[in-house]
Amino acid sequence: MAAMEPIRHEATDRTPEVLFDFAAGQYRIAGESYPEDAASFYGPLTQGLRQAVEARASDSLEFSVEMIYFNSSTAKALMNLFQILEEAAEAGMGVRINWCYHEDDETMEEFGEDFSEDFAHADYRMCPTS
Amino acid sequence: MTELATQRETGGNGLIAEEVLGFQRNMTRRGIIFSFTGYISEGILKALGDALRQKIRLESTDNKTVNRVFSVFVEQVQNIIRYSAERIEHDAEPPVELSSGMITVGSEKGRFFVICGNIIAREDADTLGGRLSELQGMDSEALRRFYKEKLREPPDEGSKGGSIGLIEIARRASEPIQFDFEHLSDEYSYFVLKAYI
Repeated sequence: MAAMEPIRHEATDRTPEVLFDFAAGQYRIAGESYPEDAASFYGPLTQGLRQAVEARASDSLEFSVEMIYFNSSTAKALMNLFQILEEAAEAGMGVRINWCYHEDDETMEEFGEDFSEDFAHADYRMCPTS
Repeated sequence: MTELATQRETGGNGLIAEEVLGFQRNMTRRGIIFSFTGYISEGILKALGDALRQKIRLESTDNKTVNRVFSVFVEQVQNIIRYSAERIEHDAEPPVELSSGMITVGSEKGRFFVICGNIIAREDADTLGGRLSELQGMDSEALRRFYKEKLREPPDEGSKGGSIGLIEIARRASEPIQFDFEHLSDEYSYFVLKAYI
């Protein structure tokens, strides 16, 4: 199978910077997210991640989230991505998630804590920055 | 003074300025920072949202409050866009999608508030009212749990994820959200939601 092409998006006013490098197992979403249509923005990302995990595009993967603000539809999309990551970890893949947030940002800290509850197999880390 | 200038000041339309000024002063008295009525699109959301952030940042409000007000604003406007029963859709390129409603942001005794109003199908009013009453009765920890629970569930039929949006509004509000309905006809009701931040 040919290597999956990475997905790269520059940040826009309403959508985050995205890098999904499937072959390298490096994933990053950073910035603000309140897209007009969350399903059409996150749908291809969810699908790509699912395919990469099923095809074992990398032996292990690292997924970093560095959000400043996201709306409720984005929260739902993140949850979908995280469910795929936890399933991959449960199936034996090395999965590390970095939830990065500014140390003063209680909202992002709370979200990070809440998402962490769904991970039993993946290595989920809270990464406060100053 | 030229005849034209005189006409501009008084000629026939002399009451307009008084009326508009009165309207604007009335809004200012109520602490309204801005209010938008009419057809709302995602583009208008973006433009109003930018203006809102700039305005409340200038009032040297802390980041936390700016983010909370902004978040409540985004969820309320997206609710109008998705759920208003008064809407225009057209398959033009790019597609036209406009929903009618009202969005108002203001401050009162040092607290910000966000109000939205739009027409909904009367048959949806009971379900929506029930959901909102449930949220009113929850404290912040219960809202946090409920939000998480809803994230795990597949979305409700026809909800387009809106129930999570309402929980987000309730979580960012500093007191229980207020809501009301005005029945317009057998078919339609007017729905209002107000949140203090």
